[in-house]
Amino acid sequence: MLSSWRKMGPQARREALEGYLCLAPWAIGFVVFTAMPLLVSIWLGFTQWTITQPPKWVGVDNYTRMFTADPLFWQSLKVTVQYVLISLPLRLVLGLGLALLLNLKVPGMNFYRTVFYIPAVISGVAVALMWMWLLQPDTGVINTLLSYAGVEGPGWFWDRNWALPSVALMSVWKVGGGAIIYLAGLQNIPPHLYEAAQIDGSNRWQRFWRITLPLLTPTIFFQLVIELIESFKVFTEAFVITQGGPLKATYFYLLYFYEEAFRNFNMGYASALALVLTLVILATTVFIYNTSDRWVYYET
Amino acid sequence: MKVRRLSFTLSIVLLLAMLGPFGAAAQGDVVTIEWWSVASEEYSEEAQRGLVEQFEAEHPGIKVNLTILPESGFTEKMTTTLGAGEGAPDVAFFWDNNWFPQALDLTPYIEADPDLGPETYFPGFWTTRAVWQDKIVGLPLGVGANFVMYNKAVFDAAGVPYPAEDWTTDDYNALVAQLANPEQRIWGGDTPRGPYRAIWQNYGAFPYSDDSMTVDGYLNGPESVASYTWLWDLVATGGTPTPADLEILGTEGTGPVDLFIAGRLAMATLNQGHMLNAVEAGVEFGIVPEPQVPGNDRYVNAWSLTASVWAGTEHPDEAYEFLSYWVGPEGQRYLMEHGNLFPSIPSALEEYEGADTEYAQAFFRVLELKQVAEWANAHPCKGTVLRAANDAWDLVMLGEIGRDEVQATLDSLAPAAQAALDECRERLGG
Repeated sequence: MLSSWRKMGPQARREALEGYLCLAPWAIGFVVFTAMPLLVSIWLGFTQWTITQPPKWVGVDNYTRMFTADPLFWQSLKVTVQYVLISLPLRLVLGLGLALLLNLKVPGMNFYRTVFYIPAVISGVAVALMWMWLLQPDTGVINTLLSYAGVEGPGWFWDRNWALPSVALMSVWKVGGGAIIYLAGLQNIPPHLYEAAQIDGSNRWQRFWRITLPLLTPTIFFQLVIELIESFKVFTEAFVITQGGPLKATYFYLLYFYEEAFRNFNMGYASALALVLTLVILATTVFIYNTSDRWVYYET
Repeated sequence: MKVRRLSFTLSIVLLLAMLGPFGAAAQGDVVTIEWWSVASEEYSEEAQRGLVEQFEAEHPGIKVNLTILPESGFTEKMTTTLGAGEGAPDVAFFWDNNWFPQALDLTPYIEADPDLGPETYFPGFWTTRAVWQDKIVGLPLGVGANFVMYNKAVFDAAGVPYPAEDWTTDDYNALVAQLANPEQRIWGGDTPRGPYRAIWQNYGAFPYSDDSMTVDGYLNGPESVASYTWLWDLVATGGTPTPADLEILGTEGTGPVDLFIAGRLAMATLNQGHMLNAVEAGVEFGIVPEPQVPGNDRYVNAWSLTASVWAGTEHPDEAYEFLSYWVGPEGQRYLMEHGNLFPSIPSALEEYEGADTEYAQAFFRVLELKQVAEWANAHPCKGTVLRAANDAWDLVMLGEIGRDEVQATLDSLAPAAQAALDECRERLGG
């Protein structure tokens, strides 16, 4: 690097320097606020630390306990994976469906796009409280409407079998954010492909299946990775509404992490929990990435 | 004339002699102490700044720099600052027991203080919030407690006599059943907000042994079984709001005061803040302690906030001077008169403007009971163990087990609770 620097002319050096200066704010921020805390957290995972006392090195004890003697670790991981499996396909499919609707050429579309995007920017706590009211078993709007149709609504968040699906259902509220990304992808598809297909006599379904979907796969891939990470990080809903209950049916991984870190001040164990979640997300993402060449189509 | 001039000159010299050195010393010796606090309904920021002004006027050598922190982040900020070992305030709330090792041992100060001592405060709050490992680590500011408030109009409409202070847990369930009126959407009473609070301890039930070694025989012991069975019976009356109702209609998790004021809940376990809400709303109500179990000790779920001096302070004397003012009779009286604080000092509490009312007297009597915190404060693993054992609570509240399954349910949870206790005890150094 030093030799290439020496070979540079004054103009090139100045440009390089300016480039590094422009990068510096992000680079410093990344090192100070992301990389260093991450490294410290990895180290803390091998300690016992209650904040008010100095950390004590315990080797792999935290991980041994986690994998062999901690039923709450397995319960929270199980619940979180179940949530991911329910909510992720739901959000991907509904987000795409909404984007297709928002891509129609009808009057007032900008208004609709704005309306559907608004939930994505509303505070998670406010949304959780609103859903708590909507899904209240006796007086909530949803069960009241169901009762008009002669259906006895479930106990939603307060029923051990329905609590997790309720939180997953609630996550659909935010599909507007993903739909905007899909919409950008849809609008990048060249119109002449549709025109050519139409001339060849294709119907709507064929155009969607043969043109839209393949050309949208890069966007779907992006959405899949982002939504997957978001799903693993589910927390607010359980923290505000269910506190992990009933019967630990919504005891998500991050809720367990939060309780260990900020209620019990068991920072060493919490750091170990955080690292394991990071590795789970990383492994899943790498798996998806490695399969992407089989189903993601990039137009050259 | 000469004498008058001489006298005038001498007076000026004397005055300067008196003011000069003292004035210079006062300027030079002013010590600034840092005070971290939070604002609440009991003590607003304005009231606390007024307290500082009053203190500084009476103590010209001490300046108090008050920082009001958001209540939600106070714990994290104090924990991290104390953990860092520097930058902590001279005086602050030390409401988390984990901070007590970082608090200044106030024992010599209290012993030397003729105006302040254990006898100044309610005994229960002194025991639970001032003393730790035979040291005095702080002083208790204010008091709060849970008690049962009953709505007289609902009782009168149902033709049911008001509960007496010596009522029992069985009386409570019977009243709930009598007062519930589903047609008018009136519930007879609420359920407790968690196990091993006052009523559990009234049954003599604790989640594990006092030496923190054994779960078996405690969590699933006869006392625990009796208390959970009482809860089962209460839920079975159908006269209590469901967990979903309470989640929606409760008030920030502190108790369903809105339902109570609206007359839809005949009895509710509330606190002194709710008591003031009911007074303001013009509701006719009475107060009784949580029901007892005949023959057993009677407990109250009560609380106070420990205020203390940081052990690392550079000005321990001045910090104690302010602490003893803030949490002593003057300060607590000031915060009572300029806010909603109920002092932890009986002599100050007697000066509460509504002290002679029936409800206030009942509240004061509740404060004399044994406290749930006496056991809980000495057992830092309680939360961890209860988390492992919480399914019993959920199963009863959701009506998913039969009355005769309570024992088996608790038995099944005991091993996990024991493992949680063992891990916690080891983590905390045995």
